[in-house]
Amino acid sequence: MRLGEALQILGRAGGERKMRVHLLCGFMPLHLETFIKAYLTLRFPGTSSSLAGGLYGDLEGNIQGAREGDGAIAVIEWSDLDQRLGFRASAGWQRETLDDIVTQVEEKCRRLEAHLIELAQKMPVAVASPSLGLPPMTHLPPSQANDCEVRLNVILAGFLQRIAGHGGIRLVSGSKLASISPSNARHDVKMDLHAGFPYTLSHADVLAEVSVQCLFPAPPKKGIITDLDQTLWKGILGDVGVEGISWSLEDKSQGHAIYQQALASLADSGVLVAIASKNDPKLVEAALQRPDLLLLPSQIFPVEASWGVKSEAVGRILEAWNIGADSVVFVDDSQMELAEVAEKYPGVEGLRFQPDDPAAIVDLVWQLRARFGKSEVLEEDRLRLKSIRASASALRENTVEPSADFLVRSEAKVTLETASADPRAFELVNKTNQFNLNGVRYTEAEWKALARRPGAFLATVSYEDRFGPLGRIAVIGGYREKDRCYVDTWVMSCRAFSRQIEFQSIRQLFAKSGASEIRFRFKPTDRNGPLQTFFAHFFNGGAGAEGELQLRPDDFERLCPSLSHQVNDKWSM
Amino acid sequence: MVNVNDKLSRCFALAFPELDPSQYSTASTENVSEWDSIAQLTLLTLIGEEFGREIDFEEFEGATSFKALAEVLQVQ
Repeated sequence: MRLGEALQILGRAGGERKMRVHLLCGFMPLHLETFIKAYLTLRFPGTSSSLAGGLYGDLEGNIQGAREGDGAIAVIEWSDLDQRLGFRASAGWQRETLDDIVTQVEEKCRRLEAHLIELAQKMPVAVASPSLGLPPMTHLPPSQANDCEVRLNVILAGFLQRIAGHGGIRLVSGSKLASISPSNARHDVKMDLHAGFPYTLSHADVLAEVSVQCLFPAPPKKGIITDLDQTLWKGILGDVGVEGISWSLEDKSQGHAIYQQALASLADSGVLVAIASKNDPKLVEAALQRPDLLLLPSQIFPVEASWGVKSEAVGRILEAWNIGADSVVFVDDSQMELAEVAEKYPGVEGLRFQPDDPAAIVDLVWQLRARFGKSEVLEEDRLRLKSIRASASALRENTVEPSADFLVRSEAKVTLETASADPRAFELVNKTNQFNLNGVRYTEAEWKALARRPGAFLATVSYEDRFGPLGRIAVIGGYREKDRCYVDTWVMSCRAFSRQIEFQSIRQLFAKSGASEIRFRFKPTDRNGPLQTFFAHFFNGGAGAEGELQLRPDDFERLCPSLSHQVNDKWSM
Repeated sequence: MVNVNDKLSRCFALAFPELDPSQYSTASTENVSEWDSIAQLTLLTLIGEEFGREIDFEEFEGATSFKALAEVLQVQ
């Protein structure tokens, strides 16, 4: 992005929602500030972002001074750890000063560590470690690493390792920066000396983009649908047979092994993986049993192998997963198949697998990592595929909408737990679309602030039946005022539909709070149809327009179906 | 000169979005309150991008009005 483009983006920015982010650095923030604001605007459209800075040359004080905010980006350079490691100081690089520099850097890192950990209690913090090199301060030629440089790098690595272990702190990836911003094109010496701003425009742009992505990662996609022939493996299964397909160095098909490993790793972190292939289903079943396959058959569901059109297979997979098309990536080597699926499901993102170009395959794997990467893998991520399989199996036993008898036979258990510090609650609220009270998304700081409101309550709801656990699949939250409960957060994963969990959640909220009325802060969105359908049970003519919907316990019980869950109450209110 | 003024006006539009375009030609640090040292750096960087040239800050020292900037750019 050019500086002019960044300013144009800022010129168009604005919105009712306000966001405050701290940029913590010891240099003049200048263009880095502009780029960060522009990337925040792109990340959060319709939001006005303000960037709080600090004093020049006082990174430590600036970190200490950061108070309220939605997040902070701390950009550290060597000169912040000791001024003599920058080019604006003139204290000399004599042999005898080097030991002192190392000592000072070590002490400074210790202090920064304490301040950053304290700051991370208040808001999420992204930390960018020095992206500029050390100055030429020893007698050695540049090709030879000197002792001082090695010691400084060890101290820095230790500091980064220690802070990375603290929740709330995320390290900006040096590898990612290196892949898009060459180290010899980062330092603008002229600008550094003239204005105290050390970066070239191109590096400031990259640093801003990666830092914003690190602080506020985009919600990850949920599922990958992959083709088989010339994609998951080399060869046409119908032509070469089960033993003829390959994914190995010996067979010059290692690119497919790289792809399989990537899929297996993503599946392990909870990403859904399905197959859509024009193939003989029996042959596919046999091929997927090959013991050297790097993606385990248990990690794949469903397998759609037939001679029908790809978009129909994709449709059946979306139905089995019960997730929106825009959460899904489709990978195929055929541009025609990609186009056919795109026409039917424009929300599904198509990525082409290029079997003859290993570099393109590695690039594809990075693209998948960018779309599916997540900061934390929760128990629910591991349960997701199992529960989808179980649901499919359960529905095969019955009709599409389970009967009350079926739910009784399912031995359904619902557990409600206090959720104020549960990262799963935050994750669910920010990624659920269909059963979502109002579609409001929160930053971590806003989320923490909600929990501090007087009378605040927040619970997660877990579900389990004889088909297996679904994990924590719903969140309900709000605040209590006198004898009323105001609910402004209520979401439920689509995996949990048709189990009457939503009715049970409301019954438990009435019971737990003793409220004479619940007021739901409802807002219709393009995608919360299932929530609106649920509200149609209780409100004549449906939920209608944005506003507060009032429900009294007697009305609820009159209209609520018979519920057969066993309730496990771990919710303190 | 027309081309220089047009390009320079585009830089002013980005650096001083609140300023009415009719005021560009007479704008200077004297009559535009937002035009401080930081804004000057932003403006010069935008000029570098718009004109496709590396900016030598010393050459622009004292160029604190639209007219003066246009003159330096014209000479270059």
